[in-house]
Amino acid sequence: MSSVLEINNMSKIYGEADNRVKALDDVSFSIKQGEFVLIVGSSGSGKSTLLNMIGLLDHPTKGKISIDGIDTTTLNDDKISSFRNKKLGFIFQFSNLLTDLSVLENVLLPLQIGGNNTGEKDAMDLLKAVGLEDQIYKRANKISGGQAQRVAIARGLINKPSIVLADEPTGNLDSVTSATIVQLMKSMAKKLNQTFIIVTHDREHFGNVDRVITIKDGKAFEGDMPSEMEITV
Amino acid sequence: MDYRIKLAKRMLFNQKGSLFGAVLAVTIGILVIHVNFVIFQGLFDAIVRDISDYNTGDVIITDEFDFIDKSDQSLIRWFERIPVVQAATPRLSTSSEMNMTKNGKLIEETRISLVGVDPFNDVRASTVHETVTEGSYVFSRNSIVLGSNIARDLGGAQVGDSVKVLVVDRWGQDQIKRFTVTGIANSPGGQGFDYSGVIHIDTLRDMMSRHGDTGSFMVKLYDHSKALEVKEFFLRSFPNEDFIAETTEEASEAQLEGFRSGIAMINMIGYFGMMASAFAIVTIQMMLVNGKTRQIGVMRSIGAKRKDILIIFIFQGMIIGAIGAGVGTAAGLGYTVYAKETKMSFNGSLPLEVTYNWEKVIQTALMSFILAIIASLYPSYRATKLLPVEAMRSV
Ligand SMILES: Nc1ncnc2c1ncn2[C@@H]1O[C@H](COP(=O)(O)OP(=O)(O)OP(=O)(O)O)[C@@H](O)[C@H]1O
Ligand SMILES: [Mg+2]
Repeated sequence: MSSVLEINNMSKIYGEADNRVKALDDVSFSIKQGEFVLIVGSSGSGKSTLLNMIGLLDHPTKGKISIDGIDTTTLNDDKISSFRNKKLGFIFQFSNLLTDLSVLENVLLPLQIGGNNTGEKDAMDLLKAVGLEDQIYKRANKISGGQAQRVAIARGLINKPSIVLADEPTGNLDSVTSATIVQLMKSMAKKLNQTFIIVTHDREHFGNVDRVITIKDGKAFEGDMPSEMEITV
Repeated sequence: MDYRIKLAKRMLFNQKGSLFGAVLAVTIGILVIHVNFVIFQGLFDAIVRDISDYNTGDVIITDEFDFIDKSDQSLIRWFERIPVVQAATPRLSTSSEMNMTKNGKLIEETRISLVGVDPFNDVRASTVHETVTEGSYVFSRNSIVLGSNIARDLGGAQVGDSVKVLVVDRWGQDQIKRFTVTGIANSPGGQGFDYSGVIHIDTLRDMMSRHGDTGSFMVKLYDHSKALEVKEFFLRSFPNEDFIAETTEEASEAQLEGFRSGIAMINMIGYFGMMASAFAIVTIQMMLVNGKTRQIGVMRSIGAKRKDILIIFIFQGMIIGAIGAGVGTAAGLGYTVYAKETKMSFNGSLPLEVTYNWEKVIQTALMSFILAIIASLYPSYRATKLLPVEAMRSV
């Protein structure tokens, strides 16, 4: 299997002088097509920073990120926007959706931003797959938090991206809803052979996954974090 | 529909308060300009109208050095051959003294303007006879119409009273004649004969020993826009006489000059009002942008470019501008129609001359539309500066 993501010696430093925070410290790893990856670690360890870098939402201070074999560090702002549009899907913790649009319009948005005004059938199919076929014309601020995350999952998948990135997608949900969202992501990943990289505090809900990367003080480690670390979370 | 246009519309229409506020700002800006125009341009035009109707006609003929000695009939006939001329009438005026005995008391007033009119032609060329509120206009050789202010100054002269009038003739002799008051003139706005006495022009010629002399000719046209043409035709036709011919505007320039700069200032105030509404749009749209920080971040994350965000918010400016210009123009025209239909008057007296200046209406609407777009530039630019990471923020 080829690798969709390759990170080489990446560091991220926020602020200057006295306010300097080294959020990521010489991180290197690669992820293969179709892998379901969890990123865990205590609060402030650098998980979101890492996801921002992979999502091309922010620039690393040092190092290189390649997605689908393309070195992203040299792209300009417009190219990066197109790249995010075509190659990446995003699921955020809060307020994922544009509240002025309907559920269906939200799912179609990545296509339209990319200049494609078709795809309604794909969007319907995805909404059906996430169990929202009866909510498609509802305005996005009129649905529950769990439903919003389902819409976000459908939207994240509509462009058939190389990687779907999620930062604490269940962080804002109750435990029962969290479990169903986790199951949904896992089943969609399997069905579509879709790469997922998910930052989470909810390690238990995910059960068995392909791979876990633990972040500690800005450094990345392969595998689950040792149990004594979890106590400090 | 392009998703950017759809989003621009939805964001705005889902924020009814903001939309309403922004549209109201534009509307008020436009309305102020319309109201100013109706009142101040209306006042200006009303004064020009009254000067024309009461004193100068559309073209006024005088003699450069002296009196006009051409006969009334020949000049009137000459003018009335021109198709656009409605009527022409001679006038003669001088300064006089008047006295009247009222309730056994003699009241004397000096330096009163005395105007001689040709009753038959005057009513055709001028509407000043319509300002006679009591009694009737000059009709006989010994009748006098008093301006309301003169009547008051003479201790309350009324129709039927008798007034003694003194003028100095061309030889320097006092000429005194007794007249019967047949009417009191009172014009709304005071441009009429409120400060004069009006008698028959032949009586005045007799008193002044100026037989056949005329001070001025008022020429009334069917179409005021032809005034310059008629004036020039007249001057070309009498090259060897010392005639002066002026249009209403030329003849009253001194009177109108100050007013003109006043209107320019009022217009300035209107444009400042428009600027203020532009600032209101900036504020309201900044609020809209700030309220959408995270959603703009989400859009950027899923691939919207800076340019796309810019288009969304500039399009909102266009929507605000278009609705505002529409509503504002409708409101302004509504006010104008109201002013015209109710014959609105200034200060409760002078009826405004209300006109529709379509060029100005369109110019005002267009300007506020463009101003709304310009106002949206800054908030739109700020929106493009929001980063995609805003979507990630957990607080
Ligand atoms: N924009 C920023 N400016 C300065 N420092 C930042 C910024 N973003 C994050 N940091 C710092 O970088 C470090 C890593 O932050 P990050 O948000 O990646 O942690 P995290 O693992 O996602 O934590 P959590 O589990 O609480 O979300 C923290 O010390 C944080 O204070
Ligand atoms: Mg985080």
